[in-house]
Amino acid sequence: MPGAANGMDQNRDRRTPATPAARASQPSPEPAADPFGLWLQARLHQLYDGVTREPIPPELLRLIEEDRHRRGG
Amino acid sequence: MPNEFHNQLITLLPRLRVQALALTRNRAAAEDLVQDAVANALAAQDSFTPGTNFAAWMHRILRNRFISTLRKQRDTTDIEDLPAGAFAVGATHEDRLVLKELGRAVNRLPVDQREALFMVVLQGMSYEDVASATGCAVGTAKSRVFRARRQLQAWLMGEDRAAARAPETRTAERRTTRIEEADALA
Repeated sequence: MPGAANGMDQNRDRRTPATPAARASQPSPEPAADPFGLWLQARLHQLYDGVTREPIPPELLRLIEEDRHRRGG
Repeated sequence: MPNEFHNQLITLLPRLRVQALALTRNRAAAEDLVQDAVANALAAQDSFTPGTNFAAWMHRILRNRFISTLRKQRDTTDIEDLPAGAFAVGATHEDRLVLKELGRAVNRLPVDQREALFMVVLQGMSYEDVASATGCAVGTAKSRVFRARRQLQAWLMGEDRAAARAPETRTAERRTTRIEEADALA
């Protein structure tokens, strides 16, 4: 779903398959806006959005800032 | 220009970490990969054309670094991590089970499919940008995402649940597969 997945809302589409039994009744994954696609998008955000909120390691920021200063930025 | 470059890089870091996790499936390896990719990007920043797609350029550097590292470290211990979201305190027991199952299934996907899936579904990238970042045709990018979703649906709906639940039983097989992953991405 290009362009439609930037949000960090972890609670999107909680109605879509929450159990294997419920999932079994879902249709095939295409087109992109099908129930499984929506469910997958919400769950992947739930799994991985926490990574984007973790603090950036200071040594990584230092590496970038040192390069910025070296180049006169 | 240097200011803009460095600002763009810092802004992109959270997304790069997720994408590194898509490639490595391991937290520590993902952190190392981002660090190395950033160092490469800083060294190569003069080759970036301002006004062009910085995210696609940076994702190319990240995956090239991953391929390079994979080829050098063929005997690296292959320990996969489930994302922290699978252990969310606020989630119900059933939610955590579902998330862990999904996390394991995602880790089982071929790396090129997992990479494209993350770019489109998590990063919100267009198929054109995915194609640009991964050096493939737009149709190939679409196909990878389609196959990833179809495979996940098949696993999660019960067609291959036993395999999806026991990835640790295929460690040797996975290691062989990962050695070949660099070639699959290149």
